[in-house]
Amino acid sequence: MSDLEKDNGTERAELVQRLELMERMIAEGRRFTMRAGWIFVLWGLVDCVGYGWHSLQAHSQFVQTWSWPICLGTGAVITLIGRTMQNRREGISKSRQCRSVEAVWGIMGITLAVYIASAMASHFSWQYSYVAGMMMILGMAHGISSVLLRWRVQGAVAAIWWAGGAAVLFCNSRRAMNDIFLLEMCLGMIAFGLYVMLLEHRQKAVRKNA
Amino acid sequence: MVTTENGNGENRDELVQRLELMEQMIAEGRRSTICRGWIFVLWGVLYFAAVGWVLFLPHKNWAWPVCMAAGIVTMIVAGLRRRRATGGTQNVRSRSIEAVWRMMGTGISLFAFTGVVAHHAGGIAYSAAILFFIGLAHAISAMILRWRVQGVVAAIWWAGGMATFFVSTWKESLAIFLTASFFGMILFGLYAMMLERRDAKLNTSSPQHNA
Repeated sequence: MSDLEKDNGTERAELVQRLELMERMIAEGRRFTMRAGWIFVLWGLVDCVGYGWHSLQAHSQFVQTWSWPICLGTGAVITLIGRTMQNRREGISKSRQCRSVEAVWGIMGITLAVYIASAMASHFSWQYSYVAGMMMILGMAHGISSVLLRWRVQGAVAAIWWAGGAAVLFCNSRRAMNDIFLLEMCLGMIAFGLYVMLLEHRQKAVRKNA
Repeated sequence: MVTTENGNGENRDELVQRLELMEQMIAEGRRSTICRGWIFVLWGVLYFAAVGWVLFLPHKNWAWPVCMAAGIVTMIVAGLRRRRATGGTQNVRSRSIEAVWRMMGTGISLFAFTGVVAHHAGGIAYSAAILFFIGLAHAISAMILRWRVQGVVAAIWWAGGMATFFVSTWKESLAIFLTASFFGMILFGLYAMMLERRDAKLNTSSPQHNA
């Protein structure tokens, strides 16, 4: 009888340990995403600037051809430099969950880069389905990350991107598509990035106080 | 001195244990993909069936919806049966891989459905985006499982997506899609099924392997 109780106790303790480990891994994964909050804000701003530049100087051939490559290239360079500096300053200690989330965002970045570059080079970036496809890819990355980190807010962001992608396919005017694009950038990039940065800031303050 | 040695020894043991655990989890994740090799074959065959229907049979508008619905129903039934058989036990890596494919499935279904309803399904960017979605899922899975073969499959889908942007007719775009489906779905699925069979043979021939 006492042996059984002991066994049950050990099993329970092991289960509790495992649960704690899982929770810790998920928390680490979320912290990893929080550290990348500025990247969401940056890309939201880069896209808004690119859009503004492109539509404000609609008659300049140079702007029509080069505004997006210049903005996206600048965004990529700033992300790389910022990430390298951040890693050097804060050190890199990654759990398995962090690595999975990093894999998701890294691959999403490569996919988007190849997709956008091929569409621009072949002059198909005017199609509605091109913009919808881009939003769907972003939604997928957010969706996968939200499942890995069990994070409802990010799940909602994925839904926002997917809804935007579907809406773009149903809109029949360039103006409506641009409005959806800007709205998505504000909600799915800048607002989410700011929210994540706020969470990080709050967590840092709590850690300092304790 | 002795304490440091002890300490180093413990550290080394702990590191070796961690590495073993990681390798074990990666192997389990790969096994979970290998077990689903038939799904890749199923979808590859369904793509060919849908294209064949569109090209050679009447009621072309129903080809894709019927074939996709058949695929989804087959997967749901098989998934339920599998869960009942295995009891639904999974490790972290298998769950990550499942999350990747589930989200890819949701995204691609939504995109394909809205594209068809809104009459955008014939566009070049639409076809290319679908190839990129599948490549994205394969690439994430390959990176999590550190599996080169799947990485190559992802590259095939991406190359197909890029090539789609540069073709001029829908027939060429269809040919690219079918080629990518053959290599990236059917062949990869058959390869995974072959690996599964080999694993099963190894397990039955050496009972220690199971322990």
